[in-house]
Amino acid sequence: MVLLLLVALDVVYYFTLYTKDIEENCTLMEISQRAKDGVDVVYLGESSNHTYSDADTDKRFICQMIDDLLPEHCVGNLAKDACHAGIYYDILRNISPDSDVKTAIVTVNMRSFTAEWIYSNLEPALRKEQIMMKKAPALYKRMLLAFKAYPNWTDEEVSAIIRKNFAKQTFTLPHPFPYHNANEWDRAIGESNTLYNGKQPSMDTIAMACHYVKEFACTFDDKNPRIKDLDKIVRLCHERGWQPVFNILAENVDQMDSLCGPDLIWLLERNAQYVVDRYEPQGVIVVNNLREVRDPDFRDRDFPTEHYTQTGRLAIAKNVSEALKQRSH
Amino acid sequence: MFYPQLVTGPIERPQNLLRQLHERKELNYDNIANGLRLILFGLFLKMVVADNLGMYVDKIYESPFDYSSGDILLGMLFYSFQIYGDFFGYSTIALGCALTMGFTLIDNFKTPYLSGSVQEFWRRWHISLSSWFRDYLYIPLGGNRVSIPRWALNTLIVFTVCGIWHGANWTFMIWGFAYGVLLILERGLRNIHLFDKIEGKTGRIFLNICNVAKTFVIVTLLWSVFRATSFANLHDLFTALFHNGTHASQLHIAPIAWIALVLFVLADIVIRESRFDVWCGKQKTAVRWCLYAFLIFAVIALSSVEQIPFIYFQF
Repeated sequence: MVLLLLVALDVVYYFTLYTKDIEENCTLMEISQRAKDGVDVVYLGESSNHTYSDADTDKRFICQMIDDLLPEHCVGNLAKDACHAGIYYDILRNISPDSDVKTAIVTVNMRSFTAEWIYSNLEPALRKEQIMMKKAPALYKRMLLAFKAYPNWTDEEVSAIIRKNFAKQTFTLPHPFPYHNANEWDRAIGESNTLYNGKQPSMDTIAMACHYVKEFACTFDDKNPRIKDLDKIVRLCHERGWQPVFNILAENVDQMDSLCGPDLIWLLERNAQYVVDRYEPQGVIVVNNLREVRDPDFRDRDFPTEHYTQTGRLAIAKNVSEALKQRSH
Repeated sequence: MFYPQLVTGPIERPQNLLRQLHERKELNYDNIANGLRLILFGLFLKMVVADNLGMYVDKIYESPFDYSSGDILLGMLFYSFQIYGDFFGYSTIALGCALTMGFTLIDNFKTPYLSGSVQEFWRRWHISLSSWFRDYLYIPLGGNRVSIPRWALNTLIVFTVCGIWHGANWTFMIWGFAYGVLLILERGLRNIHLFDKIEGKTGRIFLNICNVAKTFVIVTLLWSVFRATSFANLHDLFTALFHNGTHASQLHIAPIAWIALVLFVLADIVIRESRFDVWCGKQKTAVRWCLYAFLIFAVIALSSVEQIPFIYFQF
């Protein structure tokens, strides 16, 4: 009786309020629906795609630049702020199987693999949006939304969760190193107010060095949730017959080197290489842009981001389009 | 820890709860059915009524100058029902959870907005708190078995303390003090028989409706003091109320908010004589199941998706 009632309610909900709820609570679904009208290449990214510097004369997004560099293709913009591989997977999964998509360019942001991003306070909003994209009865999904079945962390909880997960995200270097996780390294810099080279700069500079450590000090492995997401993306692309392209974004290696020294750079490059080594054998085109943008072409100066000037965006776009051209030849 | 009943309430007396904790409990179909009915109804009150109205209330109190006088009045009205739905909903869920395990907690609300006077309102609103203040503060101070000036002082003390109980904010203190003053005024005016000439059933009904409306307006106005985050916020709210009369409405209220409000008022009238679970149990099977279907559907599909914590959890 109860089951019958729920099935009936599900049908009623599906034909009455479901579409409205999708429109109001799931912008990600709208993003998936952009893959139509002849779009054969989809570009999945975050704010790096569309953030520009005020001084830029060319304000095109990275995906628009790729579109211009590949005139024989139509590139669709499937980017949204703060997205990561877990969200890209859902966006890709909800692209209509009847679409013309042949290639999926997936942005790989190296910061998105650490606890700082995985448990950031931007995550609850994305998880909330993901609910309506699940493969499940409509009423069940609405119930998850109604009962807030997604993380609802306070700022204090976010800090505690991140600290706890930093402790789990250990790393090893090829030589003896006094710190084993971001917590220890961050604390050492913060408490001594000293950089790796013995310099004692301003508090802002120390804070920036700590940010770099928290954003990049880890070792990627197959237990990392983002690696699992990328695995799922590869499987999905293979099922759909799409060519996956992983676009490893450039980081400000110059600034990182001056503030944190070669050890953090070593970790960053090791992790980028991990992505290359793991996915190239699986047929993924991996474009490693890690060192492609120099310090002056990073827009933000007070936090490590992947927001580039027009020169930086063009460099990324050129490398991705070249990789695609080479594959098609 | 007895989880259904939290610090927020209902505020149980040891003589009621401890005895039940020592009793042997067995699963009982009626208790479980009634408990689940209460939980469902409580979820409806919180998730459909309170949260759908709360979205508009938050907007208005956050920036009152952006809204017209009509919007602000509507915001005050909505808050009256939001706080009632929120706390009545929470209390009903707590009652339901306890009942499924065979525990009976105190009924915390008895249709307070149908009260004909402020005194009656406090006998029907947050009963566990008002009776606690009565037994542990008002009566030890002498209650009403003292001179009138002393009684007035006692009343002011009790309600001011009741206000401060809600939080360390001047708005709460003013809110409580105002209730004390109103109760004194009410008692003072009791001997002035202005409406004694109204006779007959229709006349009495009309008078009752007027009294209920008067009490509701007073309570709603005082809720705005309670809801304001500070004196400055309260000042802004009333300044906007009296100055934005010609502004166009900026409040786009979804039909669900109105539907929830009307259903809540109707439900409150229907269950004024008995609790929801008891009333529901007396209905025919078909009616009962239609009601379950509607409540389940409403809780899942019509509830707000915004995170709005229980109001009383902050006190």
